[in-house]
Amino acid sequence: MRLSVLAAVAGILVTVASAHAQGFTPTRPVEVVVHTGPGGGTDAFARAMFTALRKDGLLPVNFLVVNKTGGGSATAMRYLQEKTGDDHTIAIFSSVWITDPLVQKEAPLTIDQLTPISRLVLEPALFVVNAKSPYKTLKDFIDAAKANPGQLKQSGGSVLARDAVVRHVLRAHTGADWSFISFPSGGERVAALLGGHVDIMMIEPSEAGELIRSGRLRALAQIADTRIPGFPDVPTLKEAGFDVPNVPQARGVVAPPKMPAAAVAYYEDLFRRASQSPAYKQYLADTQLENAYLGSSDLAGFLKQYQNQMREILKGAGVAVVR
Amino acid sequence: MPPARLRDGELLSGAALAGLGVYIVSEASQWSFLGPTGPGPGFFPVCYGVAMVVLSLVLVGRRLFASRPARGGEAPNRHGVAVALLTWLAFALTIPLMKYLGFLVAFGLLTFFVVVVVFRRSIAAGVAAAVLCPAAFQLVFPVLLQVRLPVGRFGF
Amino acid sequence: MEAVRGLLHGFGVALEPVNLMWCVIGCFLGTIIGILPGLGPAATIAMLLPLTFRMDPTGGIIMLAGIYYGAKYGGSTTSILLNMPGEASSVVTCIDGYQMARKGRAGAALGIAAIASFVAGTIGIVILTFLAPPLAELALSFSSPEFFALMVLGLALVVLLAGDSMLKAVLALLLGLWLASIGTDLFTAQTRFTMGQSDLLGGIEFMVIAVGVYAITEVMLSIENREEARLLPVPRGLRNYLPSWEELKACRFAFLNGSLTGFFIGTLPGAASSVSSFVSYGIEKAVSKRPELFGHGAPEGLAAPEGANNADSSGAMLPLLSFGIPAGGSTAMLLSALILWGYRPGPLLIQESPDLFWGLVASMYIGNVVLLLMNLPLVPLFAQILRIPTHILFSIVLGVSIVGAYSVSGNLFDVLMLAAFGLLGYVMAKLSYPTAPLVLGFVLGDPLERAVRQSLTMSQGDPSILVARPIAAVILLVAAVVLCSPLIRRLVGAGRRTAAT
Repeated sequence: MRLSVLAAVAGILVTVASAHAQGFTPTRPVEVVVHTGPGGGTDAFARAMFTALRKDGLLPVNFLVVNKTGGGSATAMRYLQEKTGDDHTIAIFSSVWITDPLVQKEAPLTIDQLTPISRLVLEPALFVVNAKSPYKTLKDFIDAAKANPGQLKQSGGSVLARDAVVRHVLRAHTGADWSFISFPSGGERVAALLGGHVDIMMIEPSEAGELIRSGRLRALAQIADTRIPGFPDVPTLKEAGFDVPNVPQARGVVAPPKMPAAAVAYYEDLFRRASQSPAYKQYLADTQLENAYLGSSDLAGFLKQYQNQMREILKGAGVAVVR
Repeated sequence: MPPARLRDGELLSGAALAGLGVYIVSEASQWSFLGPTGPGPGFFPVCYGVAMVVLSLVLVGRRLFASRPARGGEAPNRHGVAVALLTWLAFALTIPLMKYLGFLVAFGLLTFFVVVVVFRRSIAAGVAAAVLCPAAFQLVFPVLLQVRLPVGRFGF
Repeated sequence: MEAVRGLLHGFGVALEPVNLMWCVIGCFLGTIIGILPGLGPAATIAMLLPLTFRMDPTGGIIMLAGIYYGAKYGGSTTSILLNMPGEASSVVTCIDGYQMARKGRAGAALGIAAIASFVAGTIGIVILTFLAPPLAELALSFSSPEFFALMVLGLALVVLLAGDSMLKAVLALLLGLWLASIGTDLFTAQTRFTMGQSDLLGGIEFMVIAVGVYAITEVMLSIENREEARLLPVPRGLRNYLPSWEELKACRFAFLNGSLTGFFIGTLPGAASSVSSFVSYGIEKAVSKRPELFGHGAPEGLAAPEGANNADSSGAMLPLLSFGIPAGGSTAMLLSALILWGYRPGPLLIQESPDLFWGLVASMYIGNVVLLLMNLPLVPLFAQILRIPTHILFSIVLGVSIVGAYSVSGNLFDVLMLAAFGLLGYVMAKLSYPTAPLVLGFVLGDPLERAVRQSLTMSQGDPSILVARPIAAVILLVAAVVLCSPLIRRLVGAGRRTAAT
């Protein structure tokens, strides 16, 4: 107890000291913009992360999560545009921030017009089937899909979501064909799989973990470069025999256009220290997220490359890409 | 068309809905109706768009060929409608104002308008209401519940 | 009886003074935020999450769950008093609740809402306690074709919501369907009817439409009619604050209907609680002996949807606790709270964390009693709102509407839409178009379209999937009966009259 108090105090002192060294430290609450409503994926992630960081004493002021929902990421991005130059506003981006502007001609701006701060996590995913299903490996499923083109069904999100993209990549690679049924919420996708209305789905490990452990679902493959610790027995796509490019799903921090350099340096450093904070690392371990910190300039490169990759894949999938 | 017809709400609304239906169908016809994997984004709008055109034309037709000319009964309360629309206009104008003056000032002005112009109370009552109502809102929403209100250019 | 043993154990946990205290605090907060638009239960839970992180998890989840179901109690207050829905789920409450208030029965209406909420909430928890496993499996057998049937049943209700003109009711419904499809199509990312506005990419928010066509329109109508007191204040005296015995008797079936309909629809992920309140209202009117009273202050027309939206929150606990599947924003927040505390919500939760599971279930029984005891004495207090002078009251209604619309996503565009829908509702009222079908069409439009497209994708374009599955077929049959109910009633009535003469 004593020690943790000391550590917290030390943490605050370090925070203050290092912030002073860079010439910027927030003086009032910082707004953290997310594009989902309370309880949505990015919102839950942001709230959990800042709760953990507060616990570790890394936050000199309050970081308030602000929900700017609507149009995927459009409302949130336009809000950032209005805040151009502001140094007390940041946002948590997820992959839709990159893909939405590619297909929405109404979208106010693209992600490369925002100020990159840090990449935080990469999210692995699992291909799962109902435990009663005959498919034991991903190859079983692909073979069955080849034998009955269009008959098998995958439940998933929108056509821009990663599950749709991975399906497209796999179909292009194997020549198998199966249909894709969009459901707006993750709950409905799992329910459809549990009820036997669809054959396969791609799911986040934290959502599937308990259903796999209790014997309702079976994991066939994981979409990650290396096996994640929670699922040491499940092969990656490559190990399962499908050598397709990995489609990462990333979350991280961006800021309004033209954020002052001192503030960028401050936030970049804050999230670098966050990536080593014990409570935050514990949360990532609990939810099976991969700690994948990248600094500001690396993030810019990552976003650029990701945007290009997605543009090609979406075009290949027949989605009308507008920019 | 006689001018009475032009003021007939039933006809006008029927025509407006028919127009909306045509807009819906013409927009929706640009999107895929039946795709390779099931109905496309145009499927549903075309269905209800067509229904809207047909039904609103039925409404218009029924009105045009009705034996009795127009609904009599209650005399329209012109003054009342005018005041109601004026209130709405004040409400609508308050909204862009909030972008510059913030919620508190804009809402105070709206309250003043409602009390003094719409309900014809004294200016003193209007001023009192215009100060107290926003103050109460400030206390309940941002202070107690931490709900954000629109903030203007001057930081409040 | 494992459930009985579990429940007794749960009461042991929930009745610990500290947990009892968290339960009362949660219920109180829930009631407050339910009354005021602007801060929904999901946002409140999100806000309190960091504070509960240091609490004992059982106490924490008891409090957060109390906020969730407590908000449903509070949501009816402004619907009844001001025709302004406090929560999305209490839109239907406006229809008959507000009419009761206009007749000077505001106190009775608030009382019925509280009692209906209590009865349905409690029945919902009883079902949750004893029938959770089989019902969880039943809910899984529901998929897109069954949803389609459920939505058709919903649409059939428009017949019952129609005023004088069926044609106008259907046109209002179609307008609602159109408003629902504005935005980005989920399946193809095609943007529809956005008119180049990036604000419309995400579609129109339900609360904006509901508050617009109910509250704003009502203010305009009152101002037009120069009604200094459109609502009769409740006469003083305790009897006037309580529902009469006749009113309660009229609600007997409504309590049961609301409980069962609400609970079952609540167990389905993807069906909003506004759906369950609409459906229970429709059922109530379809079987009623006096459907002509509906829309003019029928107490059972208030009790059914009010009960349904509370049973709905018990129902939503079922997929959450049995599979870790959240049904909406609030339950998703509860789920992420459980994960943050280190629990693993899923099929094994009940075995591995019986304290938490049964403590939570037992606390919901207690919470419903607490809410009833808390809400009934508040009735006379809330009824005093109607004594506020009209010019102040209307200003407050306009202000609260602005706050409610703005807080949806912190965008002034939503407030502009609110004004637009207020005007639309006013024009519709002047031309005697009913507004309830518009709201119903908006609520059902999206899930209906989705269900059709999902089903046809599942069957590779074969439409027989929509009627061939047994559950779907039964629901469609019910919808057919509802559609024909005015006709049947007329036939039966005619038969009786001939028999009498």
